[in-house]
Amino acid sequence: MKKVRNMSFAAVTSVIVVSGALIITSMAQAKPPRSETQIAQERAALMTAVAKGDDLWHSAKLGNNGLACANCHPDGSATNVHTWPKFQTNLGKVGTLREMINWCIAVPMQGRILEYDSEEMIAMEAYATFTHRGVAIAPAKDEQHGAVPVKSGPGYPRH
Amino acid sequence: MKKISRRQFLGMTTKAGAATVFAGIFAPSASSMLGLGGVAEAATKKIKPFTFAVLTDAHLYDIADHKFDHILEKAVSDVNSIKPRPDFVLYAGDLGQSGKKDELIKGKKILDKLKMPYKIIPGEHDYYLDMGQAWRGLFGDEHWSFNHNGVHFIGMNSILVPDFWTLKGLTPKERMGMMEELECHNCGAWGVGEKQLDWLARDVRNVSPDTPVIIMTHSPLWDYYPRWNFQTYDAPQIRETLRKFDKVIAIHGHVHQVVYNEIDNIRSCGLLSTSWPWPYPPVELEYSHIKQRRADPGDFEDGLGGHDIALNADFDAIVHWREFSDLLPDNIKKGLKV
Repeated sequence: MKKVRNMSFAAVTSVIVVSGALIITSMAQAKPPRSETQIAQERAALMTAVAKGDDLWHSAKLGNNGLACANCHPDGSATNVHTWPKFQTNLGKVGTLREMINWCIAVPMQGRILEYDSEEMIAMEAYATFTHRGVAIAPAKDEQHGAVPVKSGPGYPRH
Repeated sequence: MKKISRRQFLGMTTKAGAATVFAGIFAPSASSMLGLGGVAEAATKKIKPFTFAVLTDAHLYDIADHKFDHILEKAVSDVNSIKPRPDFVLYAGDLGQSGKKDELIKGKKILDKLKMPYKIIPGEHDYYLDMGQAWRGLFGDEHWSFNHNGVHFIGMNSILVPDFWTLKGLTPKERMGMMEELECHNCGAWGVGEKQLDWLARDVRNVSPDTPVIIMTHSPLWDYYPRWNFQTYDAPQIRETLRKFDKVIAIHGHVHQVVYNEIDNIRSCGLLSTSWPWPYPPVELEYSHIKQRRADPGDFEDGLGGHDIALNADFDAIVHWREFSDLLPDNIKKGLKV
């Protein structure tokens, strides 16, 4: 027992020592705050996706009957992006926004669905989500959520 | 152009088998201004009760057997089934989607199945491919007025924008493509423009203030949500011109939804489409109890339909949104007194 206790003591001691070393190491290697350049690049990457999604959202090419997502969902409205996943009657289950986008492409637009993790799908999700920035999350509320009000322009910085 | 629309009207009247009843109700406003009958009929406060129907926003595509064709056909059948039969039908614009002549011809063929005459105004989707040329060839004047049973009816083209295409060197198809987007942010705000404002002032100059007036435009005559052109930029001037009347009922398409507003003497009603319902924009509504419920995207007829508007002798109107599904709250299910 004594031996064991000693081993335990040794183990605890070593943990403390190692932890202390890790703390010191991590302090020494703490990441600096992201630079303005880095933030701008990340932001630009997102906005590129949003702009691509905006174009797809307004394109009749996803469907086969002339309709685009924007016919029924101008400015990304009535997509309730922030309430997914949730039960959706037409999906017949708790589904995701991407599944709903594909349902809309397949049924009302009579088009071919997108790969769920395709660049196009992610861009569409990015656009629809960006139009709801700041809108409160209220899942399971049976009402139509409007997107962010837009006074003029595309509604986001686009170059 | 007036001759064409009048001939079309009389032709349809004959087809409806009621020429004697309807003859002359769409008397050109010019004769009203000259005091040839129209004014005398309209210058009485009491009116002869009647019902008329309204359809709008079919957004027909140049694609055979498209679902929107069938929805418009259903709405036309529905209007034909209304009893007592509406005296006439008004159509508030966006018969086509991309301004193609074939879309408009297809729409006219369906509308011609109405058992009563109809009058129509253009929407932006009818217009910006050829600046309304095909539309005018099929339907005549973009603005008009007539008197019926003591009510002065006015229709105007409210979707005119300043030229945004010439400097950019856009093709007609590109111009139309931009206008097709509700959120088009380079197209400018819609209005009726100076010429129509002058015409309106002349049209109502000799119409007495106690005359009931109904005005139809594609876009609302109030600032609802300018971003989507749920507005008409020169509506303040229109409202000023119509301010002398005791009561004006304004009906408008474009919004694809039940919506209501009052400004001064004007009571505005938004209309259902026969294509797709639009969500309510992110703004507060003063009459928020006059709305339709959210539509099921899996039901292609949800939130769509036509309208009948019944007027009594005192110009009380019952506006009845004839929604195909059951999306109207109880307070307006049987109509709204306007």
